[in-house]
Amino acid sequence: MAASAERQVRISRVAGRYLVFDIDDVLYIRRHHGICAVLTGTMPQNPTQNLFLSLPVELQAEEAQLLVDKGAGYIADELNDHLLRLSTMNDSTRSAYLQHIKQQRRNAQRVFEEEKAKVQARHQNKRKANRPASPSSAATTTEPAPATVTEDGDSLFDTPKPTPPPPSLTSTLKEKELPLPGVTPTTSYPILPAITSPASPASIASTNATTPSFYPLYKYLNSRGYYTTPGLRFGGDYSVYPGDPFRYHAHYLANSYGWDEEVAMLDLVTSGRLGTAVKKSFLFGAEKPGGPQQSGGGDGAGGVRVFCIEWAGM
Amino acid sequence: MASQDHLASLCKVVFNNLAYQHDWTKLQQHAQADQPRPLLYGLPPKRLYVQPDEQIDIIKAEKDRGERIPQEPEVEWVLPVHLSEKWSPAQFAAVFDGIDAIPPGGAEQEASEGDEREEQWKLWRGPKRGKRILLATVQDDSTVTYYWIFDGLVKPRQN
Repeated sequence: MAASAERQVRISRVAGRYLVFDIDDVLYIRRHHGICAVLTGTMPQNPTQNLFLSLPVELQAEEAQLLVDKGAGYIADELNDHLLRLSTMNDSTRSAYLQHIKQQRRNAQRVFEEEKAKVQARHQNKRKANRPASPSSAATTTEPAPATVTEDGDSLFDTPKPTPPPPSLTSTLKEKELPLPGVTPTTSYPILPAITSPASPASIASTNATTPSFYPLYKYLNSRGYYTTPGLRFGGDYSVYPGDPFRYHAHYLANSYGWDEEVAMLDLVTSGRLGTAVKKSFLFGAEKPGGPQQSGGGDGAGGVRVFCIEWAGM
Repeated sequence: MASQDHLASLCKVVFNNLAYQHDWTKLQQHAQADQPRPLLYGLPPKRLYVQPDEQIDIIKAEKDRGERIPQEPEVEWVLPVHLSEKWSPAQFAAVFDGIDAIPPGGAEQEASEGDEREEQWKLWRGPKRGKRILLATVQDDSTVTYYWIFDGLVKPRQN
């Protein structure tokens, strides 16, 4: 518990979105801070259903803000952080990285060679098995153009070397003869090893400038142990669950308004009606200006006032 | 004062609707200096709202007694509004801050029932009752729709 209290969740800000890439962090914020957020990871070329999405988890701005305010996480501006760390790299890390790339290329080459040898071996076995069974008459039917092909030549798997040496030898031989295959690095792990704490203050972005208007209501609900998910499916800002959404149905659909924001009565009636139809209550809340000072935070409301609307059944 | 006329007629529409369509009794208009508009309160013919936690207490009490507990109606607040209006959270807060949870006359009604025992389920009709108002939304064709509006987090009923 002590360890989890000190845990600092790295929230990566990429293109204005707040992402968490570490599965342990995702479990931690869900278990200890009541934040489920939304899994967003998929293959761009083949997007899957929401149910099968994977890491990273995307936090709403207010969720990221809450973690920062609780001291449970920090926001890293990934673009600045990458540039900063790349530009301050010394020669030894550079050569280590180049070595790493070279090793990856060798590995790729070896796998390629092994695969090729395997296919070749399989093909030759097949030919050997076929040859005694089928005499010369059969050979003409299976091979439509046998005139130019010699007995040991392989029309499909023709290689520059007629007799390939064992794979262990090829890798050392090929290195001198052929260039290694190119490898496109897909992660920055080798060059920028994982960091578990904020490396430098420069990499920590401030969220204060972008505190969303939903934040007071979100904080109010979170501090009472409610979990929230995006509420679009019920036409609100949040769906509010009394516990983990895996275990509970939502109790409320919530909207956040300004203290003096005028809300059309029709909106309240329709949202209340919709909420009742799906066995929920329509909750709306607002922060009273200067509220936290006034109420002193005695009830933890922080100046947030909420109201619930339900159909009266008459 | 056109707006006063408007409020008066609005109250009248809701008053009549409650009295003649929904059979409410003991209807009263309640004007208060710190209220933006007059409220109504009255007694519905049958109980309109049971808080989910109260329902649990009632079921427990019924199990102990081995018989059903008849649920008497409670006096309720009513706030008449027109559908074309726009209300801010600040206005709702002002209305709630100006009222007691139990409308005038409601407490006497509860007391007259006789206090045999301090039972859990009974507290919901007295000290544990939260503030709630029946939001009576009037449309131009004099349709009135009724919605509960609660002060604070009140979990939905299991309906």
